[in-house]
Amino acid sequence: MFIEDLRNDFYNLLLGNRVLLLVHYDVDAICTCKILQGLFKSDNISYTLVPVGGISELKTAYEENNEEVKYVVLVNCGGTIDLVDILQPEEDVVFFVLDSHKPTDVCNVYSDGQVRLVYRDEEENIPNFDDIFRDDDEENEEEMPSGREDLEAFVERRRQRREWETKRNDLMFNYTQFSYYGKPSACTAVELAWLLCRSGVEYTWAGCIAVSAYAATHTRSPAQALLDAHALHRHLAAQLPSHGASVSMEKDAFLPLYRTWSLENALKYSPVVAPHLRLHSLAGADRLRQLLADMGIPLQQARQAYRSMDVELRRSLLDALDAAADKHHLPRLTHATYLLRRDHCAPLAALDIVYCVMALLELEGPGGFQLALASVDTSSAECEARQRGLGAARRGLAAAAALAGATLAARALHHAGPFAHFTISEGAAECEWGPWWLAVCARWAGAGAGRGAGAVLVAAPRGRTVLLCGVPPPQRTDTRNLFGAAFEQAAAKCGASVSLDHFDSAVVTLPAAQRPQFLDALTALLA
Amino acid sequence: MFAEKVIELIKEVDRNPDTIDQYNDEKIRQIIEEMHLLFKLNMNDANATTENRSLWTTVQVRHSALERNKRCILAYLYNRMKKIKTLRWEFGAVLPPDIRELLSDDEYQWFSKYSGNLALYMRSLGQDIGYSGIDLTENLKPPKSLFIEVLCVVDYGKLELEDGDVVMLKKNSRHYLPTSECQTLIRQGILKQIM
Repeated sequence: MFIEDLRNDFYNLLLGNRVLLLVHYDVDAICTCKILQGLFKSDNISYTLVPVGGISELKTAYEENNEEVKYVVLVNCGGTIDLVDILQPEEDVVFFVLDSHKPTDVCNVYSDGQVRLVYRDEEENIPNFDDIFRDDDEENEEEMPSGREDLEAFVERRRQRREWETKRNDLMFNYTQFSYYGKPSACTAVELAWLLCRSGVEYTWAGCIAVSAYAATHTRSPAQALLDAHALHRHLAAQLPSHGASVSMEKDAFLPLYRTWSLENALKYSPVVAPHLRLHSLAGADRLRQLLADMGIPLQQARQAYRSMDVELRRSLLDALDAAADKHHLPRLTHATYLLRRDHCAPLAALDIVYCVMALLELEGPGGFQLALASVDTSSAECEARQRGLGAARRGLAAAAALAGATLAARALHHAGPFAHFTISEGAAECEWGPWWLAVCARWAGAGAGRGAGAVLVAAPRGRTVLLCGVPPPQRTDTRNLFGAAFEQAAAKCGASVSLDHFDSAVVTLPAAQRPQFLDALTALLA
Repeated sequence: MFAEKVIELIKEVDRNPDTIDQYNDEKIRQIIEEMHLLFKLNMNDANATTENRSLWTTVQVRHSALERNKRCILAYLYNRMKKIKTLRWEFGAVLPPDIRELLSDDEYQWFSKYSGNLALYMRSLGQDIGYSGIDLTENLKPPKSLFIEVLCVVDYGKLELEDGDVVMLKKNSRHYLPTSECQTLIRQGILKQIM
């Protein structure tokens, strides 16, 4: 069921109770969690926070912590699976689900109060209840009716039932065909804070980071992203002037981490610029120098740290980027983004924090979750976790660039009909990366392969298993991912024992030996 | 003579405004003797010389000294009483023996009565909302926050809170728990406070 009133039907129920907070490993979830933690702290709601990476982790986390807990809040996890079936909770446990993974499982939607979805996405075409659920009247099927009239009625009933079943399967297929992302959960959380009259810089900032995370990976189409950001703009406008940090929306370069890097590196390792300039090819370096020359930035300046660059050059950077992008037929290199400003400090871009958080979560090993939570903080300008995350993000981007470049240069990106796929060589450090960074690589390789590149599938061998991660074609209007349902069907067809443990259905693990036949089945299916 | 001893007594209290001294039995006795003496002399002079007004000044001076003594002793006792009151809040109903020695018998009796009254009052508190009394002496300073955020550093297992809730402490899980429950575990290095 969906919640109508955020404050009365969700937050006020939690007051005075112990809450179990299960949070997924992604930027949006971290930001949402930060906001909820802030709210819980100010209301003295005691909670237990457990990060969960997949469905099996969700199960163990719930089993370990379910004693005496009546309210469970799931952030960016659990919406796409039948919670009641998987977790087998007690009758009086209530799950509040705040998940941007779509489509939502219909059992959750039509649960009678045990599973409550906090936000209703209007874009979802959820099938009607009567079309997919029906009281079973099969009990008396065994006894064949004797009379002729009865027999006719019986046949008629069965025909109707079969018709209804085909219709249901069609509906369900259409509904679950694509996996995609809904409105960022953090936006809902910011709204909740606003309703509770507690909005502040830290909440707005967390919302801004979540919106930027979706912009960085094109998980939402531009029109939807604009709508998501709309509510945030209202909060930005309503900010009280303060002497601490403040969030502003400004035009800024769409280059991750350039403030903490040199301009040359930022361009070289930017997922927007690098594939379009085909920097992996021999002539790539020349093209980059040409771009810098067109921007009017001397190499010496471009190679030193951005913060030490000539002030004049820094000031004219945005205009130069725009002009050069047009000339080189690059996508737009500037966009409106959010900056956290603080007196006597360099501004902090939300885009940088996105990469910082993901680097901490997926590249920094255990403990990354705590650091990631700390890096979203606004209370201090210097934050050790953030510095570490930014460093890791720089290394991650450079490694992703190297990996995508090597794949393209070695022509290892195989086109298999509707999609292209490549495999990371076994034993490479990149194999241990999480799906988010693998998707960065995949998008990079897809964009670098030139026009007409469709969806890309990347395979990361991990010992005896292999992790497959698919990204949709880089079309900007439709961001839905067809790999989720396709993986499931291909697995059913070729009989591979695929583990669908991730909440993002476009990420699966399967035994390494079954990979070729699985890919064949997938190609046949999508062709 | 003439309220000199009592000044010494006051000075003694003034020197240690925060701590309580040994009840100065000896000096009090001497002062009371002095007061008796002054009173006797005044009585004599007043009775003997109803007509002779020349002694009136003497009588008046003695009387002032008498009153001053009385006032200073009362101040001394009152001051000690206030200190004893704070002792009850600091040490509870049972005094440590070394502090018990510092009080006179009367003072100790007062202490016991005060202690009894306070306990009676505390027991009566909160009965309308279902509590059987509140210990007022427990949190004299309001805590900065009732709950703190902690990170579990090791796999500890289950922890039962005072209100009966059970919390599973597992490595890398974060909890928001009552401050009083966490303090021992933080000291043991099982939990880490997150600022």
